[in-house]
Amino acid sequence: MISEQLREEVHKCIKCGLCMNACPVYKQLYFEGVSPRGKVQLIKKVFDATLDPSENFHNLLFTCLLCETCSVNCPSGLKIDRLLKAMRAELEDKFGLPWQKRMVFHLLSGSRLLPFAMFWGRTLGTTLLSLFAKTGKLGTIPYAKIPRINPVPLIKQYPETISPDKEKVGRVIYFVGCATNYLFENVGKSVISVLTRLGVEVVIPKKQMCCGLPIFLSGARKMALNNIRTNLRILNEGNVDAVLVDCATCGSALKKEYIHILEEMGENTEAAKALASKVLDVSEYLSRFDIRKLLGPVQGRVTYHDPCHLVRSQAVKEEPRDLLKMIPELEFVEMFGADTCCGGGGSFQWEHPDVASGITNKKIEAIGDTHADLVASGCPGCRLQISGNLESELIRVVHPVELLAKSMEERTSGSPR
Amino acid sequence: MLEPDILQKFISVVGPERCKATKEDLLTYAYDACIHEFLPDAILFPKSGTEVSEIMKIAQTHSVFVTPRGAGSGLGGEALAKQGGVVMCFTMMNRILEINKANRYAVVEPGVVIAEFQKEVEKHNLFYPPDPGSAAVATMGGAVAMNAGGMRGVKYGVTRDYLLGLEIVLPSGEIMTTGAVTTKDVTGYDLTRLICGSEGTLAVLTKIIVRLLPKPRAKRTLQAVYDVIDDAGTTVSKIIEAGIVPATLELMDKTIIKALEDFAHLGLPLDAEAVLLMDVDGDPDLVEKQAAAVAGFCREQGAREVRVSASEKENEQLWVARRSAFGAVARMRPNCLIEDATVPVSYLTSAIKKVIEAGKRNNIPIGVLAHAGDGNLHPLILFDLRDSDEMARVEKAMDEIVDYALSVGGTLSGEHGIGITKSKYLPKQLSQTSLNVMRGIKKLFDPQGILNPGSFLEDHKS
Repeated sequence: MISEQLREEVHKCIKCGLCMNACPVYKQLYFEGVSPRGKVQLIKKVFDATLDPSENFHNLLFTCLLCETCSVNCPSGLKIDRLLKAMRAELEDKFGLPWQKRMVFHLLSGSRLLPFAMFWGRTLGTTLLSLFAKTGKLGTIPYAKIPRINPVPLIKQYPETISPDKEKVGRVIYFVGCATNYLFENVGKSVISVLTRLGVEVVIPKKQMCCGLPIFLSGARKMALNNIRTNLRILNEGNVDAVLVDCATCGSALKKEYIHILEEMGENTEAAKALASKVLDVSEYLSRFDIRKLLGPVQGRVTYHDPCHLVRSQAVKEEPRDLLKMIPELEFVEMFGADTCCGGGGSFQWEHPDVASGITNKKIEAIGDTHADLVASGCPGCRLQISGNLESELIRVVHPVELLAKSMEERTSGSPR
Repeated sequence: MLEPDILQKFISVVGPERCKATKEDLLTYAYDACIHEFLPDAILFPKSGTEVSEIMKIAQTHSVFVTPRGAGSGLGGEALAKQGGVVMCFTMMNRILEINKANRYAVVEPGVVIAEFQKEVEKHNLFYPPDPGSAAVATMGGAVAMNAGGMRGVKYGVTRDYLLGLEIVLPSGEIMTTGAVTTKDVTGYDLTRLICGSEGTLAVLTKIIVRLLPKPRAKRTLQAVYDVIDDAGTTVSKIIEAGIVPATLELMDKTIIKALEDFAHLGLPLDAEAVLLMDVDGDPDLVEKQAAAVAGFCREQGAREVRVSASEKENEQLWVARRSAFGAVARMRPNCLIEDATVPVSYLTSAIKKVIEAGKRNNIPIGVLAHAGDGNLHPLILFDLRDSDEMARVEKAMDEIVDYALSVGGTLSGEHGIGITKSKYLPKQLSQTSLNVMRGIKKLFDPQGILNPGSFLEDHKS
């Protein structure tokens, strides 16, 4: 049941349409049904029983990146994305999930099968991918551009507590997230390296689970409850300065979505609120330190892409940029529309490849215009989408923290100044 | 209901992808930004003048009603299928065809979004001034059909003042051009400006030629806070009397200031009665002089605080208040109606007071924004659509506002149009003779009455 408070949202829509041209999906398809205003009005009709939730309505609900651009642009302050998420959950019983999503979510919502699947994923590679699509592409991303799975999950590569070899100035829990754990191990290594160099002790709880966001944003909230409860229990334990995430999506789950979901499911939100108050994106935490003196020169030209889940869900905009600008000799250049969604949207790019590639092409063009050879972005989803669609082999997509780690290495390995 | 074989004929013109008729489609094309809803029978998305012409021919043969529509951000139901039929939506016909720097004009298709067009011409150091509040979503076609205005009206005028020519399709399906690309053109009746503001009742737009200006080289923003609203009004008169024409001259009343502070905490004083926000633009030297002069007028008239921006960035910071105003007020109640009665500039402050009185008398919260430089009021009337008693009081407050505007020589609508929300007031402003002439023109263009039926002209037989 969608809460009364959320149901009231539809009456606040004055249909001004200001959300429409902010919506990347509408700007590809140009018809009202896919626009935020259209969806809100249809949901209103479902609430007042004028419209029976049809297959078409269900499809429209999923023709959305959940990039939240509409919500931040709404003059009346409607929580459009929350309404859509709740409606997806409401219809999950009726329409179910596609089998591919069911399978993936089954893996993500357990703790045993996932490492097993990842092992076989690494071993079998694209053979396994062709289960999803025989086009040689996963949505818009060619198989060849999908990164190889980490040989050993990151969490297994480190002890539970990693102490700095200098005076301890802080202690944090590091929520690793599936992407870093299984796909982008260098991001995790960089986070740990940067933190320990600063003198921060890093605790990596071994029993942490997938944040669950892909599961519950597809509507399968009940399926994600175990992930949420486990993470709340584990991450709220112990005395730490902060719980750090390197993934924009995990961050938005831990900071915002857990509270919303539990609240809307009528569950206790105390633990979720306690956790939310401690969660920081790694860039936010690093901004507290004077890291400049630890940085050495990195050659190149970097531009920054704002992940939706960071710039809108968490309002983190300046911190990653400021950190990048601190790196000596690295040239920072702002791209046009840096905070526009890359078109990935989790499973969106797989479900709607044509719409997604239209959106992604604009992003790729904006990147090209900067003549940067590095694109920094703190979201593995954006990273996959952008690097998977970049034609140029000369441009690399990285996490800002990878550049910081490299810069710190340069400082220690380079000649003393 | 549209018969299946007629629908099939429309599909043969635009293809199945650009003809939409599911229940969800019909519901999402039943509304615009006003409170009324009418279900169409289908929505067609043409991409060329030829397709529009073919559609009109089929419609004429089978007497199908056709209502043209842009982004659906209108405030009066102008683009709604008030008597059913098809909605012809232009959002997919949205190319900028030409930006001619040598002759300073541009040719666009009707579905181009105003703000995107403005951004594009500014890349060429050119300037398209009309900027209705909905510019981020509204289309050029909609702006022409409604003769949209905006905040820059005081100095730069409205859409009409930038129109050079049009390509239109008549209800018969005939394609016709009006005007020319030259600034001067007195050949025949000025049909371009007849179509402009005709609310989609005479012909369907397929191409629009607009005049462009050189982009002003500098701009300064000023903000003045007043304890007494009359002082703000006098300041406006003084500025205009002195021969200074600001690019924008916006007023926000006490209710708006309070809403802004509750919502955005911008540091505006809560006991102030009015805030004026002004832009002066042009050559850098002149802009400096004008900014100083305007600031002087504000202080002389008793402004308790005057801020003059020193940079582009500060311009933007000062504008945050005005840009946030609508949202800040709109979220106070579920629904918000934006009135746009307009008065001669010298009546501005008394009109604002009348509006505030009308709100109090009818127990309806109203915040007043105004394009003060051209007397265009924007009372933001707040209510809950589900409360019928409140709706009756809203109606009454609107009646009073309209009556006052007309009593001082103003107009029913400065820039939003008549549509169905204001058609009942039409005979108050237009004589029977005037209405007869308009209906005669409508008959000439659309003898069958298939284009946008139920529009402002027909709705209220007087």
